[in-house]
Amino acid sequence: MQNKSVYKIPNGKLLKISLTYSKKNNTINQIRIMGDFFAYPEEAIEVLENKLKKTMLTKDKLIERINFVIKENNFEFIGLDAEGLAQGILMCLK
Amino acid sequence: MTEEWRLLQTKDNTAAVNMAIDRAVMVSNSNKKVPPTIRFYTWNPPAISIGYFQSLEDEVDLKNCKKLGVDYVRRITGGGAVFHEKELTYSIVISESHPQIPKNIMASYGRICGAVIKGLKNLGINSEYKPINDIIANGKKISGNAQTRKMKTVLQHGTVLLDVDVDKMFSILKVPNEKIKDKLIADVKERVTSINHILRKEICFEDAATAMKKGFEEEFNVKLVQGSLTKEEIKLAAKFEKECFSSKDWNHRR
Repeated sequence: MQNKSVYKIPNGKLLKISLTYSKKNNTINQIRIMGDFFAYPEEAIEVLENKLKKTMLTKDKLIERINFVIKENNFEFIGLDAEGLAQGILMCLK
Repeated sequence: MTEEWRLLQTKDNTAAVNMAIDRAVMVSNSNKKVPPTIRFYTWNPPAISIGYFQSLEDEVDLKNCKKLGVDYVRRITGGGAVFHEKELTYSIVISESHPQIPKNIMASYGRICGAVIKGLKNLGINSEYKPINDIIANGKKISGNAQTRKMKTVLQHGTVLLDVDVDKMFSILKVPNEKIKDKLIADVKERVTSINHILRKEICFEDAATAMKKGFEEEFNVKLVQGSLTKEEIKLAAKFEKECFSSKDWNHRR
């Protein structure tokens, strides 16, 4: 399944997600995270896109995984956060 | 003694050349070949720059760009799509460890925007920093800014609007929902302002640049000395222009 979402993060920026997922396993196959936010370093988003593959499409699992990757790599996001990202991803399922 | 920084004024370059120069100066400063550098520049032809994380085809109507002779480029900084026509664009390149630059990214946005705010003040315009990355005057946006940090070096570039043509801007930018396009245009007209609009007279690039030069000198307590790109920077910029900013691979990567 493939779907897109557009989500304005509260107090943040406009997030656009393009998601390919397995409906059977309820997991991410491929994800593109786009928008007018900031990430330091910029490569953080590509790392996160790779690390999100096979993650369960539930709010808790997504937030946990995103926060783990941020912490593990010392990434800094501005105008974007784990909750907003999880919300944008889950909106692709509707 | 007052610290001296380099000032560059490079008018009328293409989008790819402008982004290539910013990156070349960043590399050069990171290698300690040049002092902290402030650049004021314009875009010819007019151009759309998109943020590093944006999708070119999602944001920009490429057919209309071609029709209207508008250039496009992906920046190395995040942030949103910007239509560059009647504006002064600035960039600052400085070491992350320079005592004038706060380590905290948001604080450093505020500090650098402080120079633009002082520059606007020199033109008689009161403005303030509005996080995340805007400067507002009379409650409306007059400047947008974007920062990246690489190779222990800060690059922040931003626009200072001399004038704005919102209708033209929206003929090039795509909107998520065509049905609300008219409302969106009306909203943006309400939310964006420019130097010419506030002062009710036309300010040229040179006058704006003089005011901004003073603004940067006041904010950072430095002297800006007019300089030029080094031979190495010119070579590097040509390389970045060709291999990166004018390439389909780069501009269409998202």
